[in-house]
Amino acid sequence: MQDDAPIFGFNAAREDIVRTVISRVVLSTKDPLLALNDAAYHETKRLEATKRGPEEQKELAEWQRLARALGRMDDGERRQKLVEVVDHIGWDVAGNFDPRVFKVSSKLLPPIVTYLLAPRTLVRLARDPRHLVSLSALDDKVRVEGPVEELRELSRQGTAVYVPTHLSNMDSIVFGYALERAGLPPATYGAGKNLFTNPVLSFFMHNLGAYRVDRRVRHNLYKDVLKTYSCVLLERGYHSLFFPGGTRSRSGGVERRLKLGLMGTAIEAYARTLLANRERRVYFVPATINYLITLEAETLIADFLAEAGKGRFIIEDDESSRLGRVTAFMRKMFDMQGAVVIRFGKPIDPFGNVVDERCRSFDRRGREVDPASYVKDESGRVTLDPVRDAQYTRELGDEICKAYLRDTVVLETHVVAAASFERLRRASPAGDLFTVLRQRDVVVVPRDELAKDVVKLRDRLVELADRGEIVVGGFLRTASGGDIVERALRAFAGYHASPVLASRPDGIAIVDTNLLFYYQNRLAAHGMAWDVIAPPGVPPARPPVFTKPGAQEAAQGGLS
Amino acid sequence: MTEQSQTPSVGIVGGGPWGRALATAARRTGAAVVLHSRRDQPESDPGLHVTVDYAEVAKARLVVIAVPSSVARNVLRALGDHLGGQHLVVHGVRGLGAEELETVSDLVREETPARRLGALGGPVQAGELIEGRPSAMVIGSRFPEVITAVTRAFQSPSLRVYGTNDLRGLEWASALVGCLSIGVGYAEEAGAGPGLLAALISRGVDEAARLMAAAGCEERTMFGLGGYGDLLASIALEDRPEVVLGKALARKVPLDQAITMAKLRVEAIPLIPRIARFAEEHRVTAGTFRALSDILAGGRPQAMLDRMFAG
Repeated sequence: MQDDAPIFGFNAAREDIVRTVISRVVLSTKDPLLALNDAAYHETKRLEATKRGPEEQKELAEWQRLARALGRMDDGERRQKLVEVVDHIGWDVAGNFDPRVFKVSSKLLPPIVTYLLAPRTLVRLARDPRHLVSLSALDDKVRVEGPVEELRELSRQGTAVYVPTHLSNMDSIVFGYALERAGLPPATYGAGKNLFTNPVLSFFMHNLGAYRVDRRVRHNLYKDVLKTYSCVLLERGYHSLFFPGGTRSRSGGVERRLKLGLMGTAIEAYARTLLANRERRVYFVPATINYLITLEAETLIADFLAEAGKGRFIIEDDESSRLGRVTAFMRKMFDMQGAVVIRFGKPIDPFGNVVDERCRSFDRRGREVDPASYVKDESGRVTLDPVRDAQYTRELGDEICKAYLRDTVVLETHVVAAASFERLRRASPAGDLFTVLRQRDVVVVPRDELAKDVVKLRDRLVELADRGEIVVGGFLRTASGGDIVERALRAFAGYHASPVLASRPDGIAIVDTNLLFYYQNRLAAHGMAWDVIAPPGVPPARPPVFTKPGAQEAAQGGLS
Repeated sequence: MTEQSQTPSVGIVGGGPWGRALATAARRTGAAVVLHSRRDQPESDPGLHVTVDYAEVAKARLVVIAVPSSVARNVLRALGDHLGGQHLVVHGVRGLGAEELETVSDLVREETPARRLGALGGPVQAGELIEGRPSAMVIGSRFPEVITAVTRAFQSPSLRVYGTNDLRGLEWASALVGCLSIGVGYAEEAGAGPGLLAALISRGVDEAARLMAAAGCEERTMFGLGGYGDLLASIALEDRPEVVLGKALARKVPLDQAITMAKLRVEAIPLIPRIARFAEEHRVTAGTFRALSDILAGGRPQAMLDRMFAG
């Protein structure tokens, strides 16, 4: 780990950072009346709708009082009030970062594992971090792939924004581990406040992120503080981690639509370093986090199906808050080789150009480009222009989504789920999604037939992988159909509460159709599984074109 | 400082009628213009600098591409060596890639480092720009500063410039209008009455809008100046290549001869069957485009009518 990374000086700089954020937000708020009204309205509405303890009761009363008084205040009083409110939000967001604990918690996985397998050691661990389990024990369980060497060099040249896919509350921990294993400096992270209240995760979360985000708070002032905070951190060279999907993927699918708000702060941060005459380049690192099994799969897919898109925004009581489930998950992880694969993609600048290890930008024809030229106006001056930057960021979002597809790592559970689900669809050819899903424990597929389907699908995935459109790991590439099915069965069996696929004398019974749907969705955006999860406005993916003889026919027969 | 030594404010690539017309329109607003042309151009205007050097064009921040779509990629690749992130690159090229349906701004994105892109569209004709007869043009870009720059460079009492942020929609609309113009030329020559013509145009535009929605564009762009407006202007011209081609086909002239008669390269020809296929893939009803595809394949008029009104 690089101990000279800016984050280790964070505590000294924190006060200064928060003050910068507060003054920037206050100065950029043109109409305090409007901003405060908006905040009071949304906060009152939120607090009225939630179960309130004495703390929330007090908060609610304060907002109500403010809403009544606003009309009578003069401009000076409103500005004063604005400063108070922004000040409060600013310090709330700024969390608490302790570099000593950080060094421990950036080696997070081992202590969690230690704790889960032998809870009493945690006490010892907290007293003396040297009792950590050796990280190498996890090396073959959690794989870290991608241009790691290049990223290491790059992290000394510029400021990194890591933008991984998001499936699970384990992601931030797993990703922290990946950074550590890759020898990359830690990153600040806007962790959801609900993760801090989660009894299992909170211990580990508290020192991972430098700031916390309460996604229940919806007003603009709060969003302004968050964005400004993120911008100031990047400006000062703190590497950052965002999950641009916004929330965990409910369907299990790879993100095809991103929330661009926080990502957009990168360009402003870069432009400000230019304006201050100390250019520090910012680069994005797309990454995928791929699980053989997902900790919260049952809750997430149930949520996806219940609301079909209008899901509860925040789930506070899922598997990640139940110690038993987390333990079972970790045991499973320890049990299987390559249960989690984190794959870093190629770094790109905020304008979609590829970046080399010295942080130089190159366009698609390999010409070097000066990134500063994108933020200059007609007179050649660097300008801050949120409308312009929003467009750049939108295009960057498209590039990141493409990188997600390329860097998706296919695992055995995905392939077996896709093959089984295809059988379900064939059993009810005209059925809509819910008709197909209702066939729980109805279809039994003879083992050798399922194995044959799996091999067919695998061969097509390998062709895609050879074209650079997806990643197929070593085991999946070479194993027999039977072995692939076995491994998927084993992965499902120890963890999910009820059987997903059941081994019967006459073959494999397709039992938990919801979970199979969840796992097959990982291949939907590639057109390699039924795509009923495309977000609004995005046309569903169609099967890719294959060149190898037989493969095309298989695609049409199997995936139309 | 004389006008000639001034830094040009608009660079135009393409010395054909369209490029020259755009240069003339920009000169009318007082802009210093540099025109990249492989042909000899009468150089009487001191504010218009003609060059064969892309580096000269790149001195202007606003660069307008006005070359045939068949050479667009090569031109952009060569031009791209001289461009940077500061450039605003706008094209006035009709057409979509016949394989991937990529737009010309997709090409700009691939072949140059420029990101602030735009496209020109709408009913304005080269002749109107040359003669200074009043007309209207559309600039599509997601970047407001591109719309501002194009408006400043081209808007004059005789040319009104409208802006839209649906860049992709404008590019699709222009391309689909090219296809529909062939159909209208064909129907006119084949003796269609006003009712049938009106049905063809209205249904064609409606289908085009739905196809655009499937391609991620805004439907209403097709119903505006860049779609309907462009189509009305196109079919009003006797010598419009697409219309000439359509008429020739109706007279049972074989396709290769009809293309020769149309003189200019007609970008819509390979595109029409591709659009018909796109419609099928996306389950969009597009009888008009399927019918057009049949005509190009040598289908008979009656069969075409049946197709157009089927489904």
